[in-house]
Amino acid sequence: MNCENINRAIIEGSTSPLTPEAGEHLRTCAKCRELVGALKLAVPTDLPSSTVFREIERGLVADLRPVRPIAPKRYIFVSLMAIFIVVAVLSLSRFRAFAIAAMTPLQTGAIFGALAISAGLLAYSLVNQMVPGSRYRFPPGKVPLAVTILLMVSIAALFPFYEERSFWFGVWVCIRGGIPVAAFAAVPLWLVLRRGAILSPIMTATAMGLLAGLAGTTALEIHCPNLAAWHILASHLGVALIAAIVGLVVGWAVENWKLIIRP
Amino acid sequence: MREKPEVERSCAELDRWMERYQQADPQAPAFLVSALSPALLRFFRSQLANPGQAEDLLQDTWLRIHRVRHTYRPGEPVLPWIYAIARRVRVDGYRRSRRINVHETAMEVLPERPAQSDPRHVLPVFDALVAALPEAQREVITMLKVGGLSLEEIARATSSTVGAVKQKAHRGYDRLRKLLRSYAEAAGGAQ
Repeated sequence: MNCENINRAIIEGSTSPLTPEAGEHLRTCAKCRELVGALKLAVPTDLPSSTVFREIERGLVADLRPVRPIAPKRYIFVSLMAIFIVVAVLSLSRFRAFAIAAMTPLQTGAIFGALAISAGLLAYSLVNQMVPGSRYRFPPGKVPLAVTILLMVSIAALFPFYEERSFWFGVWVCIRGGIPVAAFAAVPLWLVLRRGAILSPIMTATAMGLLAGLAGTTALEIHCPNLAAWHILASHLGVALIAAIVGLVVGWAVENWKLIIRP
Repeated sequence: MREKPEVERSCAELDRWMERYQQADPQAPAFLVSALSPALLRFFRSQLANPGQAEDLLQDTWLRIHRVRHTYRPGEPVLPWIYAIARRVRVDGYRRSRRINVHETAMEVLPERPAQSDPRHVLPVFDALVAALPEAQREVITMLKVGGLSLEEIARATSSTVGAVKQKAHRGYDRLRKLLRSYAEAAGGAQ
């Protein structure tokens, strides 16, 4: 038994009753003895004043009406993924699927697989962000970054790097085509998300912006026959990144607006 | 460990009252407020809020809980749901107070060790003890000790993983050991 084991015992709440080994360690280790002693002291109980209690109760009871619990996670996840897929497919009414014909089956499968995984990760993260106290497998703040890196690596591995003469013009054309698709996806995504409790508008809006942007990226991956890696990174993935940045700015504005109106 | 069945029973009871709250049972708000407010208030106090601020944060928390009560899913543990909201209210409260520049230094500078009338009294009160910890460690230890949350529940409340919570708790306890030693040595020197 050492100090590390005592830590573990405290964290897992098993210091009472002490095991014989823990007791033996405490007899010889002053630091652990002091720590266990300090933690065994009762934490003073704080009670709100009766006025505060009454005010809170009155406030809650005054506006008490039955509410329907939010839909199960899987329904919300399916809704978010359906929005992503439907918007990407609807964009075919505007764009033709030139890129599918230009890509090899490996490129097609891998890039759309990476986009689907990315969208799935973001949708899963958003589903959890809608409900406070959800269980997270991946920290929600890191998911947008992980998704961006996954897509950058996939694009760099799948497509060749070469120089183009009218690079910036091509980038501008694709961004101009992809952004409206992202904006179109953002509206229904927001309608689903507003049903939840968004505790961190910055984090949620960034993830939502990236998911909406990925709908635009997917539309461009279906349409644009330019297979240069630089072009795809700068314009197709650029649409997703621009949408994520817009989401971040909107989230920041919402968070600060809330603070300004309730000083 | 012997207390666990009682704790589990009371958590199950809270879950049931939360469901009744969603169904607009008029007794539910009173029960939940009286059952949860003391721990929530202690949570805010140990996060370095003064008594007035802590009561304001408590009121804000209940208002927000009321607004988003539909997001509680029956069958899920209620404590992580409550503490996730409380945690966010605390962050907003901190940012708001910084914005209006009133308690600007309250959260950034650690409070000085409280003066003790008897130097032989080496164990500081809980708030003073955890005040010396970094915010993330302080939050985890307060939830463990005051809120009675499990590691899994803290992970849920802090949007984190159980591993990360364990690591913060380990580091926090290591730091507390050193701190307590320095208190003991200071008290020994004063004698």
